[in-house]
Amino acid sequence: MAVDLDKCTGCEACITACHAENNIPTVGAQQAARGRAMHWIRVERYYEGNFPDVTVKFRPVLCQQCDNAPCEAVCPTYAAHQNEDGLNAQVYNRCIGTRYCANACTYNVRFFNFFNPEWPKPLNLQLNPDVSIREVGVMEKCTFCVQRIKAAKTTAKAENRGLVDGALQPACAQACPTTALVFGDLNDPNSRVARLSQSPRGSKLLEDLGAEPKITYLDKQSWHEPDAY
Amino acid sequence: MRAVYGLYDDPHVAQQAVENLRAAGVADTDITVISSEPFDHFEFGHRDATTAMPWVAVAAGVVGLGLSYYLLGAAQRSWPLVTSGMPIVPLWSNLIIIFEMTMLSAILATVVYLFVSAGLPSRGGKMYDPEVSDGYILVGVENPQDGARLEPALAIGSGRVKTIS
Amino acid sequence: MNRTLTKPLTDDLIRPLFQTSIWFYAIVFAAGTVVACGAAAWGYQIWFGIGSAGIRWPVFWGFYLVNFVFWIGISHAGTLISAILRLVNAGWRRPVTRCAEAITVFALMIGAMFPIIHLGRPWLAFWLFPYPSDREIWPNFRSPLAWDFFAINTYLTGSVLFLFLPMIPDFALIRDRSTGWRKTGYGWLSFGWRGTTRQWNRLESAMQIMAVAILPVAVSVHTIVSFDFSMAAVPMWHSTIFGPYFVAGAIFSGIAALIIAMAVLRKMLGLEQYLQPLHFENLGKLLLLMSILWAYFVFAERLTVWYGNEHHEMVVFWATQRGAFAPFYWTMVICNFVIPFVILANYKTRTIAGCVIASIGVLIGMWLERFLIIIPSLAHKQLPYSWGEYAPQPVELTIMAATFAGMILLYALFSKFVPIIAIWELKAGLPSRLDPAARAEAALLATRLDTEEFSPEASSTHGEHR
Repeated sequence: MAVDLDKCTGCEACITACHAENNIPTVGAQQAARGRAMHWIRVERYYEGNFPDVTVKFRPVLCQQCDNAPCEAVCPTYAAHQNEDGLNAQVYNRCIGTRYCANACTYNVRFFNFFNPEWPKPLNLQLNPDVSIREVGVMEKCTFCVQRIKAAKTTAKAENRGLVDGALQPACAQACPTTALVFGDLNDPNSRVARLSQSPRGSKLLEDLGAEPKITYLDKQSWHEPDAY
Repeated sequence: MRAVYGLYDDPHVAQQAVENLRAAGVADTDITVISSEPFDHFEFGHRDATTAMPWVAVAAGVVGLGLSYYLLGAAQRSWPLVTSGMPIVPLWSNLIIIFEMTMLSAILATVVYLFVSAGLPSRGGKMYDPEVSDGYILVGVENPQDGARLEPALAIGSGRVKTIS
Repeated sequence: MNRTLTKPLTDDLIRPLFQTSIWFYAIVFAAGTVVACGAAAWGYQIWFGIGSAGIRWPVFWGFYLVNFVFWIGISHAGTLISAILRLVNAGWRRPVTRCAEAITVFALMIGAMFPIIHLGRPWLAFWLFPYPSDREIWPNFRSPLAWDFFAINTYLTGSVLFLFLPMIPDFALIRDRSTGWRKTGYGWLSFGWRGTTRQWNRLESAMQIMAVAILPVAVSVHTIVSFDFSMAAVPMWHSTIFGPYFVAGAIFSGIAALIIAMAVLRKMLGLEQYLQPLHFENLGKLLLLMSILWAYFVFAERLTVWYGNEHHEMVVFWATQRGAFAPFYWTMVICNFVIPFVILANYKTRTIAGCVIASIGVLIGMWLERFLIIIPSLAHKQLPYSWGEYAPQPVELTIMAATFAGMILLYALFSKFVPIIAIWELKAGLPSRLDPAARAEAALLATRLDTEEFSPEASSTHGEHR
């Protein structure tokens, strides 16, 4: 995935779409205040400069699907592991809730079911049948909408064709009004995401830690004239 | 069970009793010394001291090392899952578990060998006197061929000779 | 003069098994109540979900892990110290070893419960165990938590055996001196021990081998506990110093726990003759040494972080030096270094009371140290947007209180059913049993063991042997 920070307006449509697609419980205001809110994707806001000359930077942060993911090796039950597509898979049924993966994750994009999931009415009527519900004590995180990837692959295989770039999108990218989130196959050098990843504006989040994240962030470009220096 | 033994409250006298028994023609392996504490500084305390126990522990450690090395690799290969880009069988981190299993094997083998070689657990029926618990040292012979002949050898110092027949 | 009769000594040491004071019932009742509250709190947490505890995003490990490290640290009192003292054949170890080893076993049992208590789904804790399951999947042996399982398992097994083996001759002693259910029970426990020369020699060989084997295991256990943290790329966790730093801290808190336990036992069971000021003096010196070593490690750790000036680490660094965690940090420094150093470096204050005060300080300080290692780092990971704070909840505090009460309960029951001083080891160390070189040291210890049978005069007149 590539995230164009220049295009991100911080509207948080991706968060809502993600909640709806992935059956993410809403924990309520009280638990959210106690740090139990679950947002597989979040928009981080950073403020720069002093009032009134303040600029806000938005950065959508979701699981970076690292190649050398720090979360995987520490799991004692293989609940977190690398699947054949290169995604960080999280097998809910294997998870016993040591929460070690969440501590090891440098991006804090893993979320824990502190209680059994609940949805206030009428949200309980819109659960996605393709996504399993996670019980108390289980860790969960962004899957890149693995249910959509599997479905698209199955369809493509049935129709005896390859995947078409851009036809398959996770909920967040689909909902993004400015197409700041671009999803695709990094192994296909002609895909849009592969080309964006080569962009000179591109960088990885916390790249120096060596986790080799798969998401490329495209830097925000200043519209100011550069200061004379 | 027949037995003849003396009870002594002085290790020097007990030592003398052991030597008297030897002089009376009792084989060293037939002489039993029972005490409520080890007497490392007397000759009778050193009888039967050689043991293969350290070698048993080392051998068990080697077995544990080999077995855990093999089992870890087999378990990891049986369902190979990649985590954090590590090898399927990462020897570097497996060494930790191999070490623990080596030590565990050595410790367990030591204890098992202790029980076997010390004749534990024992159901009783062997030569014993509860007075040992008061600090007396028991020197005697189990199932002697001629118990009466040995009594003078044991009746020395303040020793008390008892016969079970 | 009778030279080997030890009836008064034995009777004195097994007296607590036959006479029960009202204090025993009071302690068992009080501690048992707190333990029951802790069990109820755990039940509450399982029923309503792990969210009853204070852990949250991003501080996913809280008091439970702090207590885990703390108790595993306490467990380094016994087996490690007792094994070292056995190997160097320090005569003064004899009355100390068993109460130290008992601390190890109980602290390990308590500590090993925390990784299970803190699980999100504790009813599936057995998935950590390597067994051929119908799920056809093994634990991930690359995980430090899997290493923990093996390390604690080895250490607990070894420590239980290390504690139990020298108890067998003492059980035989009690068997011979009791009637009724005690005779039957201790008869079973003594495995029909007679005390033949062969049995003594085998037992002593086994104890030597166990002592050699258990030393590296003890070091490995707390190293692996430190790996739980240092393997993760979390600021101030990812450090090569953590292994030895944790081991030193563990021995440090372990000795402190031992000193407190010995002081309590001395008063409660009337063991003033056996646990003498000399033992506290020696352990106090060890505690002083470990205090200095701890300060050295903290200095080395902090200096490298400060000098390296790496951005993510400095956030955590300043949070503990000056920020919200600073009061805990400086309390820790005072409790772990200033108080023990001032009290123990001066021979005049290195008394029993002084050692106990220093030890209480060390226990508080070492608990805070584990808290300061775990919480500030998790609260200040790399991305500032995801910083957070942590406050413990009643369940966590209740369960923590229950573990301390559990330690008291287990220890009270242990000293009720087992002679807390290894009788045969004490006897074998009496001056009359030793060669002249070792006797001088032992005579110092035995000055107050001057029963008729064991006066130092007797040993000097009957010193000769082959």
